[in-house]
Amino acid sequence: MTTVSTVRNSQILKDRLISVFIGFFAILWIFPILWTLWSSFRPYKEIRARGTFSMPEEFGIFNYREAISRMELPTYLWNSFIITVPAVFLTLMFGSLIAFVVSRYSFKFNVGMLLLFTAGNLLPAQLVFIPVFKMYLNVGDLVGDRRFLFDSPWGVVLIHVAFQMGFATFVLSSYMKTIPKEISESALVDGASVFRHYWNVMLPLLRPPLASLAVLMTTWIYNDFFWALVLMSTDKKRPITSALGRLTGEYVTDYNLLAAGAIIAALPTLVVFLVLRKQFVSGLTLGSTKG
Amino acid sequence: MKSSATRPSKSRRRRAFSRGDRVTLGIFVGIPTFFHLVLVWIPAILTIVLSFTYWTGINFGDIKWAGVANYDNIFTKTPQFYEALRNNVIWLLWFGFIATPAGVLLAYQIDRKIRGHQAYQSIYYLPVILSLAVTGIIWNFMLRPDGFVNGVLGRDIDEAISFFGNYDINIYVIMVMASWRHIGYIMLLYLAGLKAIDPTLREAAAIDGATEWATFRKVILPAMRPVNIIVIVITIIESLRAFDMVYVIYGTSAGLPILGILVFQNIAGEGASMKGAAYAVILFVLSIGPIIAYLRQQFRADVS
Amino acid sequence: MSAENSKVPESGRGFTVNRRELLVGAAGVAGAGALFAACGGGDKVVGPLTFGARTVDESPTKQLKALVAAYEAKTGNTVTYNATESNAFQNNLSQYLQGTPDDAFQWMAGYRMQFFAEQGLLVDLSDVWDKIGDQYSESYKIASTGLDGKQYFIPQSWYPWGLHFRKSMLADLGIDPDGIYNWDDFLKMLDGMKKKGLVGFAAGDKGGWEAMGTFDIINARVNGYQYHVDLLAGREKWTDPRTAKVFEYWEQLVPYMNDNVLDLEWDGAMQLLLQKKAGAMLMGSWFGGNFKEQSDADYEDLWIIPFPEINPEHKRDTIDAPIDGFCAAKNGTNNDGGKDFLAFAGDMEGVQAMLDTGVPMTSANKGQDTSAYDAFQTQQLAVMAEAKYVTQFLDRDTRPDFAGPVVGPAIQSWFKNPKDVNKILESLQEQWDALPPL
Repeated sequence: MTTVSTVRNSQILKDRLISVFIGFFAILWIFPILWTLWSSFRPYKEIRARGTFSMPEEFGIFNYREAISRMELPTYLWNSFIITVPAVFLTLMFGSLIAFVVSRYSFKFNVGMLLLFTAGNLLPAQLVFIPVFKMYLNVGDLVGDRRFLFDSPWGVVLIHVAFQMGFATFVLSSYMKTIPKEISESALVDGASVFRHYWNVMLPLLRPPLASLAVLMTTWIYNDFFWALVLMSTDKKRPITSALGRLTGEYVTDYNLLAAGAIIAALPTLVVFLVLRKQFVSGLTLGSTKG
Repeated sequence: MKSSATRPSKSRRRRAFSRGDRVTLGIFVGIPTFFHLVLVWIPAILTIVLSFTYWTGINFGDIKWAGVANYDNIFTKTPQFYEALRNNVIWLLWFGFIATPAGVLLAYQIDRKIRGHQAYQSIYYLPVILSLAVTGIIWNFMLRPDGFVNGVLGRDIDEAISFFGNYDINIYVIMVMASWRHIGYIMLLYLAGLKAIDPTLREAAAIDGATEWATFRKVILPAMRPVNIIVIVITIIESLRAFDMVYVIYGTSAGLPILGILVFQNIAGEGASMKGAAYAVILFVLSIGPIIAYLRQQFRADVS
Repeated sequence: MSAENSKVPESGRGFTVNRRELLVGAAGVAGAGALFAACGGGDKVVGPLTFGARTVDESPTKQLKALVAAYEAKTGNTVTYNATESNAFQNNLSQYLQGTPDDAFQWMAGYRMQFFAEQGLLVDLSDVWDKIGDQYSESYKIASTGLDGKQYFIPQSWYPWGLHFRKSMLADLGIDPDGIYNWDDFLKMLDGMKKKGLVGFAAGDKGGWEAMGTFDIINARVNGYQYHVDLLAGREKWTDPRTAKVFEYWEQLVPYMNDNVLDLEWDGAMQLLLQKKAGAMLMGSWFGGNFKEQSDADYEDLWIIPFPEINPEHKRDTIDAPIDGFCAAKNGTNNDGGKDFLAFAGDMEGVQAMLDTGVPMTSANKGQDTSAYDAFQTQQLAVMAEAKYVTQFLDRDTRPDFAGPVVGPAIQSWFKNPKDVNKILESLQEQWDALPPL
């Protein structure tokens, strides 16, 4: 018959084993990244000549320098920036608008709207891209510039916004439900218009979920690969994640150079993650559980 | 928790919106909805319609009605489709029985604050924040004929184990790569949910002398029902939608046929046909079940 | 019957490039370059234009950039050079041409080009041909003509698909390259390589298209040129025992191939040859430049012979010799600029600019001085000379919605399971029958 203390003792032993087990796998988990990092500091020629595990003679950041200049990474990073920042901004804004209307006012269409947006978020991208492609070209022709939406960062921004709006709406509306009705009531008693209700009253209260969402969205949109691939045709305009595909083909023989390129491409999200880890977790909290 | 839509409002007077308010509301709702409909729902419907036509995707005048010919082609004449389906099923089973449970258990342990849990949380989540293009490069480094694993095994380029080219094992190789990401993602989702669990539940179980495993099975799991559903739905949808990782490794060649790749292979490029649209619709139909389950879970209170 | 014909791509209905004419064009007269210099493009200012290259490899890029530089120098028009890796380029061509393509771009002859001309996505280049047409033999003009009789393509270079190997390795085995004439000779050579622990026949089919060359040549050898053309046009069946015979012969090569065929692309197979780990490789000769990059000695060691005879009735009378070249995109912003650039590229002046880089190229232009050809290039000509019939390669000679999505994966699944050949052939036929009418 086990006493509580026996259970606890065996639990302590189990816990140690679990910790070791998880720790072991953690090393395996991070190893590929570390290996890539390690390789990025070594020249490919040396590895070809002397083998993967040779002791490094040359070791330094030359691959990084070359990656930046030859692969023109700053151009691609800039492209990523001009796509990600507007996309995140618009997604959050639109999401907050819908969430605001849906959670602060009782309209019959509220539930329907939320359903529409949330379901839209889950549709596979492949279901959508040929009509969107044709649409962009035709709108471009209408406006007189084929590159108005197609092969333009704005085209990519808009499709991201359209797809990610649903998640933002959902998270923000969940959060808004936790804000007491009294705040809105008193604003309305004061005669605030809908706009002021949104802008002056609700928006400032949304800082926490907006921050979390911003972190999540930035990562997701920055990491996107598919849309820029199909909606842009000029390689120089593509964000770094889509460009990496081409660079892989081009520099397929110099893998260590590619490693440096990959690390550089991963840096923005790595930095965001390490600095804003809390927001990540809380963003997902809001998204996965209801209030 | 009741939503604001069903709770009777404090004052029963009808809201009278000024004209300015109505315009504002119209804009607030209209603009986002416009983009969402035009860029997501309308194209989705168009693709569904197009799946019933013959078209190369180039000139509108060439669209010809095909009835179910594309679907018939896929189901009866394209062995690749069944290969792809098989691979998606393997993906689903692997995620469902290996990766997701691993993520859940990992989350539980980290939530219990075992030693090193701070570091573990970051380490396991790290792959999730990497773009798939970067992930592809990293794993290529590990598994290429002249990469790390073959180096450890002492095999030279012509006798290297071909992880990506050996079609008997490549699905499992891709599964390992996909799990590398998926486990961290599930872990964090579950972790977020675990934080919301009432700590007294656990204290009660401890007082009763329950083992951790029993506590997990009988106390935590049932309490996490909403998150469980989310996790299951995400697992299913991710297995069906998989595309990026395989595309990064194989492009559109038939290295690892999965539904996502078949869509792209048939709808883009020179030999484009609306068979690709049919594949996309099939993918969508397979996802409907999970999507509805997700929506029901999230909007349970509202819908009732 | 008419329903059958509606599925057949034009090029399959008897599109033959007469190899004699091709050679007359290639074996040009020394000094002819000077005669043609004034006829080419590059006379007017047509504004900035863009050029899309279908390669990111070092040697071809060097050539193309030299061409662009020469054009810019002559005309003062600025050209923006956009490069895309070739598989990515091909996979996106339909979107590319419909969207915002470059004014001029690299492409291939054959049905692949005719299809896009039919869709109205290419610029009519007939007037460019009027200017520079006399620099090319008739068969190049035929190869550049669309289904409506107008020209849409400017040829740049061609290369034969043949058996490549290193002379030194054969010498080690005591085999004379010209001594490998028929299938038995070939197997003997492969045996010799195998005994030495080397891969006999290097192959890479990760891209899905590489092995089509092997199919093409074995089919042409076993069943003849007409059967091959008819099969690709749908007039013969994949389930025909003659087609199955192709795979019977192919299966004999499997023991001599590298294990990781599906993990290597064409350049992986080339690497095996370059590193002396493999004896022979069936490939187009474009990669000469890669060997030269490694070292001159390696390039001089490279040799090519026609794929061996299998059926004495057909000897070695057919060869895949795809023609690469340029097109102008209708949806480009500067059609005139594109045409002007192509007129220059097709003219001897442009060709010379590319030749001056020192990268080996077998130009389609009559003006190329073949007496200046090195040994490898001369041998390529000799290989071509033996063939009576020239085909463009499977994925250029048949419908694109059949070649890439259907035949490619089918061959790859054959590599996985050679015993499934009958099932695979049945499926190929079924999928051909299910193709929508053109």
